Amino acid sequence: MKYRPLNLGRWLIWGATALVFLVAPLALRQAFALTMMTQMGAFIIFALSYNMLLGQGGMLSFGHAVYSGLGAYITVHVLNLVSKGTFSVPVSLLPLVGGLAGLVFGVLFGYVTTKKAGTTFALISLGIGEMVYACVLMFPDFFGGEAGVSTNRVVGEPFLGITFGPAIQVYYLVAFWCFASMAAMFALTQTPLGRMANAVRDNPERAEFVGYNTQHVRFLQLTLSAFFAGVSGALSCINFEIVSAENVSAIRSGGVLLATFIGGVPFFFGPIIGAVVFIFFVVALSGFTKAWLLYLGLFFVAMVLYAPGGIASLILLQLPVIRARRFREMLVPYALALAAGLVALAGLIGMVEMVYRLSEQGASTVLGVLGFAFDARTAPPWIAFGLVLAAGLASLRYAARFALARWNAIQHDLLARQP
Amino acid sequence: MSATPSFAANHGPAIELRDVHKSFGTTKIINGVSLAIPAGERHAIIGPNGAGKSTLFNLVSGRYEVSSGRILLNGEDITGLKPYQINRKRLSRSFQVTNIFHNLSVYENIRCAELWSAGYRYSFWHRVGALKDVQQRAEEVMERIGLAKRRDVPAGTLTYAEQRALEIGITIAGGSNVILLDEPTSGMSRTETARAVELIRQVTEGRTLIMVEHDMGVVFNLADRISVLVYGEVIATGAPEEIRANPAVQEAYLGALHKEDDAGAQPAGDAAHA
Repeated sequence: MKYRPLNLGRWLIWGATALVFLVAPLALRQAFALTMMTQMGAFIIFALSYNMLLGQGGMLSFGHAVYSGLGAYITVHVLNLVSKGTFSVPVSLLPLVGGLAGLVFGVLFGYVTTKKAGTTFALISLGIGEMVYACVLMFPDFFGGEAGVSTNRVVGEPFLGITFGPAIQVYYLVAFWCFASMAAMFALTQTPLGRMANAVRDNPERAEFVGYNTQHVRFLQLTLSAFFAGVSGALSCINFEIVSAENVSAIRSGGVLLATFIGGVPFFFGPIIGAVVFIFFVVALSGFTKAWLLYLGLFFVAMVLYAPGGIASLILLQLPVIRARRFREMLVPYALALAAGLVALAGLIGMVEMVYRLSEQGASTVLGVLGFAFDARTAPPWIAFGLVLAAGLASLRYAARFALARWNAIQHDLLARQP
Repeated sequence: MSATPSFAANHGPAIELRDVHKSFGTTKIINGVSLAIPAGERHAIIGPNGAGKSTLFNLVSGRYEVSSGRILLNGEDITGLKPYQINRKRLSRSFQVTNIFHNLSVYENIRCAELWSAGYRYSFWHRVGALKDVQQRAEEVMERIGLAKRRDVPAGTLTYAEQRALEIGITIAGGSNVILLDEPTSGMSRTETARAVELIRQVTEGRTLIMVEHDMGVVFNLADRISVLVYGEVIATGAPEEIRANPAVQEAYLGALHKEDDAGAQPAGDAAHA
């Protein structure tokens, strides 16, 4: 057997991750950044739990928000009961409550959805998502209708001065659970069940002939995944102090699919990147432009077309080149491609923003860029942005060819060096 | 490794088919097959294309349900059981068309095939890397099938002959007592076939083997007894010499096959090298 000093690397990676969680709020001190990072933490758990289905188990779900959302609803009611004094649960352990709720609903719905794999699974998950969403609106007494159920996370006696009132305390609560969930979900990939989930994903038939009931494997995998979805739901409940129908909606189920795919389905850490990028789009970009959803959609389409392995695959592709100390050769082509891409993006953004401004009733059609003011109802800015976009795309094409040629040359050398 | 199966001492047959029928719609594929294969025997099923050999395997391994009749494994009725239930009773099969876990490494393929029989089932509290018993056995199996050097290669990137070897590896990894091999040497060149025969002989030592095979060289070399299946019926069962001498078999099958073989041998050999 080959000796591979993987464990040291693993410790380093986990240690670095913990460190990032610890110091991130010190580096980014704005309240805005803190809210965003808190949401990222909760969404990382959600996306990782989703990838337990899609990436590891081969189950394309269109209704994963059901588990996080219902986990959040149970949490919000438990929190309200705690503040009424009915019973006492420390706020820091509420994610466990949400997780158990997710688990119970996972057992309930998973029993139905995991009977079949593939397209059937996807369609049933969509159906269950719609059903739960309809129920949420149908029973306003429990679910609070459109407005949702609100709560107050500051309950009980402060423990060591921690009330979870200040945003920074919520951040560290989320960070702790996020790190613990990451570690737990990674550990699960290293178990017999985790490995058999991969096997069932690859070839369910053969899995049956080595003794495994594939339905049972899918069911257990989904149940565990629903637990972590519930943890994430509870954290978002604590963070926002409100749970509404949006939490179980198809939009949210679609969002987690988008985030996971953008990050990289084939890799464990892919969804972590995806969640960070996705929340950045949702929180940061939505503050700047009304067209953020369109940009997110375009980004998603571009990833599906050109990097189906997600951002994670793009990073991992560089590793052998870096190891061979050849990455320097790629710097120039990458920089050129990046520059060309930015030019094209600028042209695209200009045109999209003008469209949005024109479609908006009563809004001024005058926009400004770098001190220049222009009117979207006139032709010159359209021509200008159109030219910028065209020039960007044309140069991107050449830059990409250049980069690819270099890339292939390096790959050729690397292959030739192998025995 | 000579794990003598406890069933070897058992005097009943390892596999017994009692008047098994199978039809798809109105088409009868298996037409009343009765067959008893004693434990420890290497048994070959031969017959022309479309005789129902693979269907018979699919019935025994639980992939299809029988239309009527009973199938017994070590005296126990397994009719109507699911493939995984039959596998847990220590019957394992390979496939004519390579059926492996393409995205997993060779090692992972073998390990997945062992986990159930090693007793780890659906465990999500064991770390697979720490399961020394499973690991050791997987190394052993890889050594046997000649893929130890290809341990970490994704199975989908193996050569055709290597994938066929892995197919056998997955089949034997769980330590089943009854092994069903469906055309294990199909598409192999002469040298690869010879190597495969040696491999099959080794890994089925002390076990019951049932194989479907087109290559008569392989069949007469390996099998203790042979059954001839024609149009869903067993027209003869016996030792290789008996089968060779049987006029009914010659008429129904062997003559036709030799022609077929001459026409078909060359392209198959090429495909294996491609």
